Amino acid sequence: MRSKRTFGEPGALLKGVLTAVMIVVAAGFVAPTLWIAANALRPQQEIFTYASELSINTFIPVDWTLQHFVTLMTGPFARALGNSLLISVLTVVLGLLVTATAAFALSTLRVPGKSIIFGFIVISFLVPFDALAVPLSATFRQIGLDNTYTGLILPGLGHGLAIFLFKQFFDNLPIELLEAAMVDGASRAQTLFRIYLPITRPAMIGAGIILFMFQWQAYLWPLLVGTETKMYVGAIAIARMFGEYSTDYGALFAGSFLLALVPALILLIFQKQFVSSVASTGLKD
Amino acid sequence: MAIRVARRTRRKGHKGDLGAFIWLLLPAVALLVVTRLAPIGEALWTSLNDPQSDGAFGAYLALWNSETFRNSIKVTLWFNLIINPLQVFASLMLAVLLTQNLPAVGFARTLIFLPAAIPQAVSTVVWGIALRPEDGLANSFLQIFGIAPQPFLTSPQQALYSIMVIASWIGVGYWMMFLIAGLRGIPKSLLEAASLDGAGWWRQFFSIQLPLLKRSLSFVLVAATVANFLLFVPVQVLTRGGPAGSTNLLMHEIYRQALTFHDMPFASAQVMVLTLITLVIVTIQFRLLRPAT
Repeated sequence: MRSKRTFGEPGALLKGVLTAVMIVVAAGFVAPTLWIAANALRPQQEIFTYASELSINTFIPVDWTLQHFVTLMTGPFARALGNSLLISVLTVVLGLLVTATAAFALSTLRVPGKSIIFGFIVISFLVPFDALAVPLSATFRQIGLDNTYTGLILPGLGHGLAIFLFKQFFDNLPIELLEAAMVDGASRAQTLFRIYLPITRPAMIGAGIILFMFQWQAYLWPLLVGTETKMYVGAIAIARMFGEYSTDYGALFAGSFLLALVPALILLIFQKQFVSSVASTGLKD
Repeated sequence: MAIRVARRTRRKGHKGDLGAFIWLLLPAVALLVVTRLAPIGEALWTSLNDPQSDGAFGAYLALWNSETFRNSIKVTLWFNLIINPLQVFASLMLAVLLTQNLPAVGFARTLIFLPAAIPQAVSTVVWGIALRPEDGLANSFLQIFGIAPQPFLTSPQQALYSIMVIASWIGVGYWMMFLIAGLRGIPKSLLEAASLDGAGWWRQFFSIQLPLLKRSLSFVLVAATVANFLLFVPVQVLTRGGPAGSTNLLMHEIYRQALTFHDMPFASAQVMVLTLITLVIVTIQFRLLRPAT
């Protein structure tokens, strides 16, 4: 306890003030999200009534309804949401396979020129993909990969940051583990899948979240490559609804709610890995 | 350290290593070459082969003379000059506040980080509705303080700053997490020693925490700059670069040239400029990522 108090433990008054500031700031940050939830769950006419007249009812509906979710899921949005889920899940499964194998090679094998390849991988995730999306989409159109699931999934698979994360974990495993497996006659694939991966669960979750979020958040790439209505992903469908001449705002908020709910749930379930995977990208010495 | 030593003394180059290395690494490297390297080549090739102009550098010459491109560069630079220091400062304040010993501080951290997890398209659309001048949430909020309704995204003077607010609501909690990680990495013993020497909170903050946070702060500044140089979603969904070109950030200008005007050589020349800027920033970032020696 003492060690906690010695560094700048604020006095009771200061602590009260800081707590108040914290509550106000956190409330400010969470207000738009609460507003999404409230608007998704209330009748259409209440949305703008309580937006232009600020009160507690702005964030807590007077009347509750699930009508907007019914409208939404019986319309074209259902398919877009399904597309988002399919693309994100496939990206996680295939992406983990590709990135873990690559990291395993980089971590356990001694080959000249390895650091050059690793440098290229690091650069590849530091340059945001969006910068290259326009020229890549031109190529994808030429070879007929536009409006295909393959075309939408491909750029998310070889995520350099996921490779980086796996490599960091593999590097910290004792080399004896690898040598023992080799002595026992295990193949490299067996070593990776039976020994390395099971004990690097945090890395699997971290890399999985990175791969999932890349696709769930994607906007520019699906805008360029998934131009047919049946290939819309959730993010595109929501932006289209917003741009329509007569927008169904209830359905729009319900869709926003669902698209925000999925990552929010992942954040809650895997809070520790989520935060450490985004916040530990190489900052540790 | 023990691991490092063991690694170094291990047998040098097993026979099967090269073959296995190629097979294990091939899928990832092939994907990265196709999706991250080839597009740069494609952009370079297309920009140098402009059928509309003479000479190899015609598209770049057109770029140089383009009023729209110059405006876009101006808007992008101004946007970054303001938003990056602002985001770093705000995330530092939040990181310091949320590493104090306060009740439910972890929960507050989660709430502030949450916007970073929500898809940008969703945040953009919701903020777009909240910023509607006539019946939006933002103006009702300002009304409490007796401030007259503002035009926000519909005004050439306010649109870019409105987009900064949206981008910061998304980004600040994310950058805060890096700084919290940095603050936590500072050894408690240092602060205790300073405390015993009679240094107060402010003295400890400016003389110990801030200098030791330099690495994390530089990283966040550079990473935020890259992210904000490429900001696209709010512009494409809410303003389409307007009103009067006031929000025509570079990424949106590229999209417009390629998709609206179908001028790929021109758009590719812009991609090359943007990639070059990003690579310069990333090179700095790459140095920051390397462990300090």
